[in-house]
Amino acid sequence: MATAFIDSAQSTVDRAIQRNLKGLGYLASSAPVLGASPKDVVLSRGPLRLYHYHPLTDEVYRVPVLLVMATTNRGYIFDMVPGQSLVEFLLLRGYDVFMADWEAPRAEDRALGMKDYVEDFVGGSIAEVQRLTGESDVSLVGYCMGGVLSVLWSGLNHAAGPKNLAVFTTPVDFHQMTLFQAWSDKRYFDVDRLVDTLGMAPAEMLATAFDMLRPAGRVAANFQLLDNLWNDDFVKSHRMFDRWSNDMLPLAGEYFRETTKQLVWDNALFEGTMKVGGRPVALDRITAPFLHITAEHDHIVTTGASAPLLGLIGSDDKEQVVLKGGHVSLIAGPNAVKRMWPKLDAWLAEKSI
Amino acid sequence: MNKRKSESSACAGLQRLDVPALTANDRGRMAETPNLDPFGLARSWMSQWEKLVNEHGTELLAKPETAQAMQAMSGAAVQLQAASTEASAKLLAAANLPSRTDFEALGARLGAIEAALARIEQRLRAVAPDRTPPRPPVARTRKPPAPSGDA
Repeated sequence: MATAFIDSAQSTVDRAIQRNLKGLGYLASSAPVLGASPKDVVLSRGPLRLYHYHPLTDEVYRVPVLLVMATTNRGYIFDMVPGQSLVEFLLLRGYDVFMADWEAPRAEDRALGMKDYVEDFVGGSIAEVQRLTGESDVSLVGYCMGGVLSVLWSGLNHAAGPKNLAVFTTPVDFHQMTLFQAWSDKRYFDVDRLVDTLGMAPAEMLATAFDMLRPAGRVAANFQLLDNLWNDDFVKSHRMFDRWSNDMLPLAGEYFRETTKQLVWDNALFEGTMKVGGRPVALDRITAPFLHITAEHDHIVTTGASAPLLGLIGSDDKEQVVLKGGHVSLIAGPNAVKRMWPKLDAWLAEKSI
Repeated sequence: MNKRKSESSACAGLQRLDVPALTANDRGRMAETPNLDPFGLARSWMSQWEKLVNEHGTELLAKPETAQAMQAMSGAAVQLQAASTEASAKLLAAANLPSRTDFEALGARLGAIEAALARIEQRLRAVAPDRTPPRPPVARTRKPPAPSGDA
């Protein structure tokens, strides 16, 4: 008992000292470099940046993989640091990896709409991947709104669709995202005035909306950091994710207007009435093998919003997997390394030859 | 070095970081000994506070009255920004200085020049290829590993 008491006291004092010493270090040191896997920018068009990562194996699978990032956030969530990078993981497993990433749209990009994002940016990226690799088959892998864009492109181009379609935490029934529904209630939210006046949906507005989904989250996160300052792994992880979650992008005005009206208000993707550039999106005509990975504790894209997607896709070979984790820890961090990445690799490998 | 797993509550924006915290072994030992960690009490209090605020906060934020108030404030801010942009544009014009709109127009022209340069570069590459040696092509012949049988 006395020994345990002394051990406990020693451990508490040790942590207090470490907390103070490392707290000073935290304030003085620079943040880790993120998204540094060697790559070439092979296509730059408006806010789109298409990266081709340098292969890490002598032999790759025949079918290249195109990751499509969510339009509100930076793609380096897929490529944090060595050992915590989905891109690096896929490269080491022998995939030829591309990523459609986004920059903040410029003022002259305000007129870019859903058609531009789906047909020009996703479609243009696929065409470029096909040209560079000489392969007509491409596996499309989208995250959140990147998943929506991937599904929309596939629903418009079922004949020439992707070889494989995998999406993570992708919403389809937007009426189930109850807080976003409440805040964008068309009786009170004048999206036309916002877009016509500002030209963009400001990043700060989007960040505030995401924060308000868990009102105490920011304070709790800072407390956790203070509590765990003694722990190098925690601090490193906190810095990476904190930087990423604060690094949000504004959205081009027309794209935001169409997203709000068609997806959030009319729930057109779920209702089967979605059109892009006047062309109907037919999810039931998608025939590519389909995988949807969702997170058990996702508070942004709730299960109610994401789960119906599987039933709407026409493919015979389709699967939904619910993994432990939240909206972000599903795709990055120790949870993802252990659960999601191996699942994706296992599903994709045999379909990539 | 101890391998510790997180039981921390979620962080908005950060989500669950799955970072090290306490092991079951630690907790068992702590149950037998007095808790000397000054953060122990705060940790428990913070966890309860976070749960309470998240539950009640989201309930409050989901109410139509809250949405109406939020959007009224947001609408007023947008109007204010529009009015201030217009007023500052007039002031800048009076001082013979370029406004945001002028810079945006300049940005658009630069964008068009960049696009034209990209087209020229593309054409130049066709007639005068880059002399730096390209990365060796990789064989697209990889096959999935054979199942280990213990999965």
